Amino acid sequence: MTAGANRIFVIAQNTYREAVREKLLYNLFAFSTLMILSSIVLAKMHLGYDERIYYDVGLAAIAFFGVLIAIFVGINLVYRELAQKTVYTMLAKPVHRWEFVVGKYAGLVSLLALEIGMMAALFMLVVWYKDTQFPIQLLYAIGLIFMELVLITAVALFFSSFTTPYLAAMFTVGLWIIGHLLADIRDFGNLPDAEGIRPITQALYWGLPNLDRLDLKGPAAAGQVIELGTVLSRALYALLYSAMLLIGAVALFQRRDFR
Amino acid sequence: MSLIQARGLRKSFRTGFLGRRVEAVRGVDLDVREGEIFGFIGPNGAGKTTTIKLLTGLILPTAGEAWIQGVPVSDPRSRQHLGFLPEGTFFHEYLTGAEFLDFHARLLGIPRDVRRQRIPELLQRVGIPHAADMRLRSYSKGMRQRAGLAQALIGDPDVLILDEPMSGLDPLGRKDVRDLILSLRDEGKTIFFSSHILADAEVICDQVAIIVRGRVVHQGYLDALLGQELSGVELVVEGIDENLFEQVQALAQRALVQGSRFQFEFDDEAEAEKALDWIRSEGGRIRSLVPRRRSLEDLFVEEAKKETHA
Ligand SMILES: Nc1ncnc2c1ncn2[C@@H]1O[C@H](COP(=O)(O)OP(=O)(O)OP(=O)(O)O)[C@@H](O)[C@H]1O
Ligand SMILES: [Mg+2]
Repeated sequence: MTAGANRIFVIAQNTYREAVREKLLYNLFAFSTLMILSSIVLAKMHLGYDERIYYDVGLAAIAFFGVLIAIFVGINLVYRELAQKTVYTMLAKPVHRWEFVVGKYAGLVSLLALEIGMMAALFMLVVWYKDTQFPIQLLYAIGLIFMELVLITAVALFFSSFTTPYLAAMFTVGLWIIGHLLADIRDFGNLPDAEGIRPITQALYWGLPNLDRLDLKGPAAAGQVIELGTVLSRALYALLYSAMLLIGAVALFQRRDFR
Repeated sequence: MSLIQARGLRKSFRTGFLGRRVEAVRGVDLDVREGEIFGFIGPNGAGKTTTIKLLTGLILPTAGEAWIQGVPVSDPRSRQHLGFLPEGTFFHEYLTGAEFLDFHARLLGIPRDVRRQRIPELLQRVGIPHAADMRLRSYSKGMRQRAGLAQALIGDPDVLILDEPMSGLDPLGRKDVRDLILSLRDEGKTIFFSSHILADAEVICDQVAIIVRGRVVHQGYLDALLGQELSGVELVVEGIDENLFEQVQALAQRALVQGSRFQFEFDDEAEAEKALDWIRSEGGRIRSLVPRRRSLEDLFVEEAKKETHA
C-alpha cells in the first residue's frame, strides 16, 4: 500500500471506529430495525389482503433510515473532527487535505454499507420467512438505495466543507427532496404557460442529482422485471456524480482555514 | 541552517456578521536554528497560536512565507519530521491512550513492530504509563496534555512545535515538561514552544521571540534581551521607627509593612543609596538588597504601552 493510500485507510478506519465506539450506529440501527419490523407488522395487520405490501414498506424503511443515517451521522462525524479540532494533529502531519476528505468519505460509506447490509439481511429474513423465496429485483432496489446513500453522503460532505453542520444538514435534506422531484419540476417547466421559467427548470433537471433514477422501489415491489444493465448504469451515474462532489469538497477544503 | 523560518507572515481574520478585519499576525519573521530551544512568548491574544497554525499549515497566510527544514509549509512534506502539540487538548476522546498514539503513528506510516515498542516507551516518558488502556475521555487535563506530547513525539521528529505545552499542568508537571524539553534538545531536536508564562522561557530557552499584538518586538538570546540593565532595587529592612519609615517611603516607589519587616522598591538606584545611608545611620538592619533585573514582564508592559501609543 502506498503511503497516501495507507493514510486514507487509517482515517477511514478511525471514522468507522468512532461511530462504533460512540454507539451512534447501534442506536440508529436498533431504531431502524424496530421500524422495519413494526411497519411490516402494521402493514400486515391493516392490509393483510395484499401480500406484497410489506415489500413496499420494507424497502421504504431501508431507504428512509438509510438517508437519515447518511445525512445526520455523516455530517456529525465530519463536523466533530472540525469542531473538536481533532483534525489539527492529523493535518499537522504529512497528510494531504484531500486524503483527509477521501478517508472520511470512505469511512462513512463503509459505515453505510454495514448499515444497509444489516437492514437488508433482516428484510430478506422476513421475506424469506413469509414467502420462502426472495425476488432478485428487491436486491437490485436495495443496491440502488445504497448508491443513493453514497451520493447523499458526498452531498453532505460537500456542504460540510464550507458551512455549519446545521446548514449542511438543511441543504442536504433540501437537495434530497428536490432530487426526488426533478421530473415534476421539469414537467412543470414544460407546461405551455411556463415558457419563462423553462431555462431554470431545465438547468435544475440536468444539473442536480436525479435521485428518482436511483429509486426502483416501486417496480421492484410490484414484481416487475428489472434488467441488471439498468441497475448498473444507474449505479454508475451515482458514482460519477459522487466523484464530482468529492472533487468539489476537496477543492473547498484545500482553501479552508482550520481555526 | 534555520529549521523553522518565517518571512513577513501575516494573517487577518474576518469576524462577525459585518466581516470586521482582525489582524492577528502582522509581519512575523522567525529564525529557529537547529538544536535550540526557542520560546515564543507573548500575552494572551498576541498571535502565538495563529503564527503556529501558519507554520503547521492549518491556516493559510494572508501574506508572507514560512519553511520548515527548508520546505515551504504549504507542502505537506514540510511536516514529515515535525511533531506538533496544538493548543488545548482536542483529541479523539473515544480512543485509549495507546490507540491514540497508534492512530497517529499509523498516519505517519510507522511499521507495527516499531509502534509496539515505542508507544509504551513514550507513555512512560511523559509519565502516564498506567493510562495506556484508558479512554482519553476519562483523562484529566494534565494527562491529556501529556498524551498530546507523546503524540507529538511519536514520529521521532527533528522539529517540535508545541503550543503552550505547560498549560493545564501543576508545578510538578511543568517541571516534568521543562525537563522533557531539555532532554529532547540533548537528543539534538529543535524545539519551538509558545507560552505566556515568562518563567517557563527564562529557565530553558536559548532564544526567545516576544510577540505583542501580532508583531515580534524582540528576538534574540535571553541575556542580550534582558541585559544587565537594572530596573531598580528591592530592599528589606528591620528595626526602623515610624518616622524613618515615612521618610524612606517618600523616596520609594512602593513600601510594604510585613510585621517587623519593611519592604521597599526603588526604581532609581541613587534614591535607594540615599535611603540605605539613612537606615544605617539610624541603626536599622538590612535583611536583603536585591537588584531587580529587567524581566520579560517589564518588556511586555513596555511594548504593550508602545503599541497603544503608536
Ligand atoms: N479564528 C479566528 N477568528 C477571528 N479572530 C481570531 C481567530 N483566531 C484568533 N483570532 C484573533 O487573533 C488574535 C491572536 O489570537 P491567537 O489565538 O493567535 O493569540 P495567542 O497569542 O495564541 O493567545 P493565547 O495566549 O490566549 O493563546 C486575537 O486577537 C484573536 O482574537
Ligand atoms: Mg494561543
